[in-house]
Amino acid sequence: MRKPYQICLLMLLVCLVPAVASAQSFRVQCPTSTITHPTATSNNSEPAYAGPTYAGTSGYPAAPAHVNGAIKCQQISGGDGYSTMGDGTQTYMFSFGPLSGISDIANGLPGTEFPSVFNTVTPGLLQPGDPATTGITYNGAVGLVPDRDALAAGSCTGLCLDGHVDPRQIMDVGVMNGNIPAPLMAIDEDDEFFLTLTNVGMIMRPDLFEQHTVHFHGYPNASSFYDGVPDASVAINIGASFTYYYLAPDAGTYFWHCHITPPEHLQMGMVGQLYVRPRQNRATGALYAALQQQQLDLRTKCDSTTDILCSNPLPAVNTGATGGGKYAYNDGDGSTAYDVEYPIQIHGFDPSFHFIGMTFNPEEFADMKDKFFLLNGRSYPDTVTPGPLQTQSADGVNHFSQPLPTIINIPAGKKALLRISDLDVTEYQTLASIGIPMNVVGINAKLLRDQAGNNLNYNTNSITLAGGESLDVILDATDTTKYPSGSVFYLYTPNLDHLSNDAENFGGLMTEVHIN
Amino acid sequence: MNATKTKKAISKTRLLLAAMVAMALLLPATAHGAAPGITGPTFNLTAQPAYISQPDGSMIYSWGYGCRVAPSGFAPAAISGATCPTMQVPGPTLIVTEGQTVTVNLANGLPTSAGNTSILFPGFSLTSTTGGVAGVLTQEAAPGGTVTYSFVAGTPGTRAYYSGTQGDLQVEMGLYGAIIVLPAAVPANCSTGLAASNLAAEAHWGEHDFRLSHAAYDHAKSCYDREYLFQFSEMDPDIHYQAQAQVAARAGCVAGAAGCSLNVATEPYHPAYFLINGRSMPDDMDPNYAVEYPHQPYNGNPHMHPGEQVLLRVIGQGRWQHPFHEHGNHVRILGRDGNLILSATDPTSLAGPLLFTTSTTPGLAFDGIFYWTAKGLNWDAYGHNPASGDASAKLSCTPDANGYNTSATAAINYFEWCQDHNKPMELAPFGDVPGGGPTTLPDPNLFTNGPWYGGSPYLGPDATLRATGCSAGTNAGPLAVNCGATGSTPPSGTIANSPSGEAGFAFMWHSHNEREITTNNIFPGGMLMMMLVDSREFVIDESN
Ligand SMILES: [Cu+2]
Repeated sequence: MRKPYQICLLMLLVCLVPAVASAQSFRVQCPTSTITHPTATSNNSEPAYAGPTYAGTSGYPAAPAHVNGAIKCQQISGGDGYSTMGDGTQTYMFSFGPLSGISDIANGLPGTEFPSVFNTVTPGLLQPGDPATTGITYNGAVGLVPDRDALAAGSCTGLCLDGHVDPRQIMDVGVMNGNIPAPLMAIDEDDEFFLTLTNVGMIMRPDLFEQHTVHFHGYPNASSFYDGVPDASVAINIGASFTYYYLAPDAGTYFWHCHITPPEHLQMGMVGQLYVRPRQNRATGALYAALQQQQLDLRTKCDSTTDILCSNPLPAVNTGATGGGKYAYNDGDGSTAYDVEYPIQIHGFDPSFHFIGMTFNPEEFADMKDKFFLLNGRSYPDTVTPGPLQTQSADGVNHFSQPLPTIINIPAGKKALLRISDLDVTEYQTLASIGIPMNVVGINAKLLRDQAGNNLNYNTNSITLAGGESLDVILDATDTTKYPSGSVFYLYTPNLDHLSNDAENFGGLMTEVHIN
Repeated sequence: MNATKTKKAISKTRLLLAAMVAMALLLPATAHGAAPGITGPTFNLTAQPAYISQPDGSMIYSWGYGCRVAPSGFAPAAISGATCPTMQVPGPTLIVTEGQTVTVNLANGLPTSAGNTSILFPGFSLTSTTGGVAGVLTQEAAPGGTVTYSFVAGTPGTRAYYSGTQGDLQVEMGLYGAIIVLPAAVPANCSTGLAASNLAAEAHWGEHDFRLSHAAYDHAKSCYDREYLFQFSEMDPDIHYQAQAQVAARAGCVAGAAGCSLNVATEPYHPAYFLINGRSMPDDMDPNYAVEYPHQPYNGNPHMHPGEQVLLRVIGQGRWQHPFHEHGNHVRILGRDGNLILSATDPTSLAGPLLFTTSTTPGLAFDGIFYWTAKGLNWDAYGHNPASGDASAKLSCTPDANGYNTSATAAINYFEWCQDHNKPMELAPFGDVPGGGPTTLPDPNLFTNGPWYGGSPYLGPDATLRATGCSAGTNAGPLAVNCGATGSTPPSGTIANSPSGEAGFAFMWHSHNEREITTNNIFPGGMLMMMLVDSREFVIDESN
């Protein structure tokens, strides 16, 4: 049963490419302008926030009062790959990998790009494992090439980058290139986000014809179409691409994951991070006045008397804080200000489940037991190894499998925002801070504030999350007497059995905070 | 326990389960949740054994509370066919009104070897306990005996009740339930304004009102238009098998005699069933009081219309926490265990958190408000198109002060988010939605459709028919190629939300400890249900 299917799969991949005009296989989308962002030249940077997009009750097709935000694009592969655990074990994963911003991802940055970066052709031919293999610097959409058919037909002129891709480049880079965590995504409020998922197949599991999806976890008022639940929507087959479209939701720390057979695909590694930066970052002058401006647009206002699900009414106290900094939320009072930010994703791997996942054996769900406890896909001491970690995959090539260290570097006297999310599928995990208190300012991508505008942020030294939860913590190191330059603090789990890397009674869910 | 679990077998199981869902839907499949229960204020309960059904075919020996005699009433009145058997899991939901003196008479109908049993009512102060024998935590009913508890339902809200005797075994066996205390004085604003408009829309389409009240608390911010109760628990079948075997071995023994007791090991704990209201997916989406589940009368099958304020009453009844993830939007926690969470400076303001994952915790209940609208999508969720030949594609949207189309209570796009009205989603057409939108959907042949996929990105049967490019006269030329190809038939052939029927937006509500959305190692199952947002013309009927 399996072998004929394997052949079919290969034929499918080959045959879809020259299919009929209406059919597509791999494809990316990153328009340079849209109805919402009509001026192409203005969409490659974040404009300052000057006022509401629509004032009063007006809306489409009226002309917007202000055009806010920009366009952001990203491409990811859905497939498989290998990572290396803290004890040196190579672990098989079902996983997403970067197909845009590959150099940024390798540098621990989001693979989310403006159209001017995304819509560029590679300077050379990408090799399997890139950027690890050739060291190339490239952040555009892997595979993007001029559409020669459209040029020949005269329907396109100039360079003609209309989303047409060279599937060879997609497969060369995308196959066996899975990352843990999955590629980082970051957008700004008012952005339109075009996220292309390209399903390259799972090479080690040719018996599976699995689709993958993206679930943008926590998106308020989601459409079921782009919610990524295969039961409730569509899922993209192997050998094709699907572009998810989102208007950036309210600022906060969200996360994303595949929603196909979640106990399997999440355990196997299809989990990633996603956050939305607030409009307030783009405001100048008084923050309170900027939040008052946001109250003028029905989409962005928070009126607690009519909307029970908004968390940022005007603050009870006008602190007079002025903009220019970075904030976790549209707080209007600067209470969520920070200097440096670190996404931290908690996860766990059950090595026997991963072994079974690679070897076609029967799967058990009920007694799944994690033995590797991961911060951004790594256990201590790998969490404090700078730069990307690479793993040789079954294709014999090294891939950047774990791009994100979790070294919290705080300049002396500054504040760090930890965007903590958890996608463990088996149990709750606790992360504690020795030294600097954790100031929790947001939970589940919502500012901690009551309907009367009182801030409800609180100090703690320990937070506990289940899979499917997130929160925002500020480590305030402004007191340089307590937290002088050169000092080192720790984030670790008081779930003491999680301070291990499988059989090694050492490591696990732990990392370091460095005051620079 | 010995189900074959190769990947191939699981795929077959998926199809099997899908077929089971399909069969369930062939029944008069219009039962959508609510928070059904029995009314008091005097309740004559019994604790008895019976077998509860699981979707893998297992019948699990369990203990549960039930009605010893017919209850004084059932609520909500709009649900017909309500029953209260002598044993059910969860136990009967006890519905009372704030200020009432509640009396619970409990008879112990468990096997003699199971020993005493009792009920704890956390959050209430017992005013009297009569009969029974002294236990560690409360007065207990001996085998064959009775005990009576009385308390005043002092404050509104949802709370748990459960056995206070050998809880590691008795709660695991199923001895738990919910008490709902309705507010004595419903705030006036819960029957005016948008609440009244929503009711008018409901009446226009002939929908019944399935609410127990109009507010969760005596508070103007706790109004709701629809409500659901979900009790989360897990079950280790080995404990149940042990109890069953030991009870059988000690049949006929005399209470208090040597050896007339159970010695069931409740550790180590390996639950394999993960239940919402005593059922696993897909059984949880079958009707309340469905005859297939004589001892599991309550379902988990939430439906709602855009803009409705939906009260979620959620209780953790097992020994584990479960991260309950509500797709679609956040939940405002109103209060926990009947304790409304208010601002420290302004008692008219709420202060409970907004959560997209609401962890259930053993013994803890919360009340929360959820709603869904299309606000912020940046495209018209109904697929309106003023250039269409279809009259209902050209409806108007008149924004109220909050931007929603709420003045037209009889319109199918009542409560539409007007800022995106007529705003197209697609550049290349998927149906008759014109060019100009930001996205281009792929060839539909590259998709795999899910059983709850409504057939298009758009909400409602009308929108879906238009957008699938098959409505008469509006889809000539190149669009005809989409006709049929974009149909929503998934590989399983199961359609649970058809393009021409319900065509709602389906969202998965489930435990995010994802291994818990399995039934005895088979995916899908367990703590999973589909929530549907239905456009206005689909009649949500929570009755049977
Ligand atoms: Cu997947």
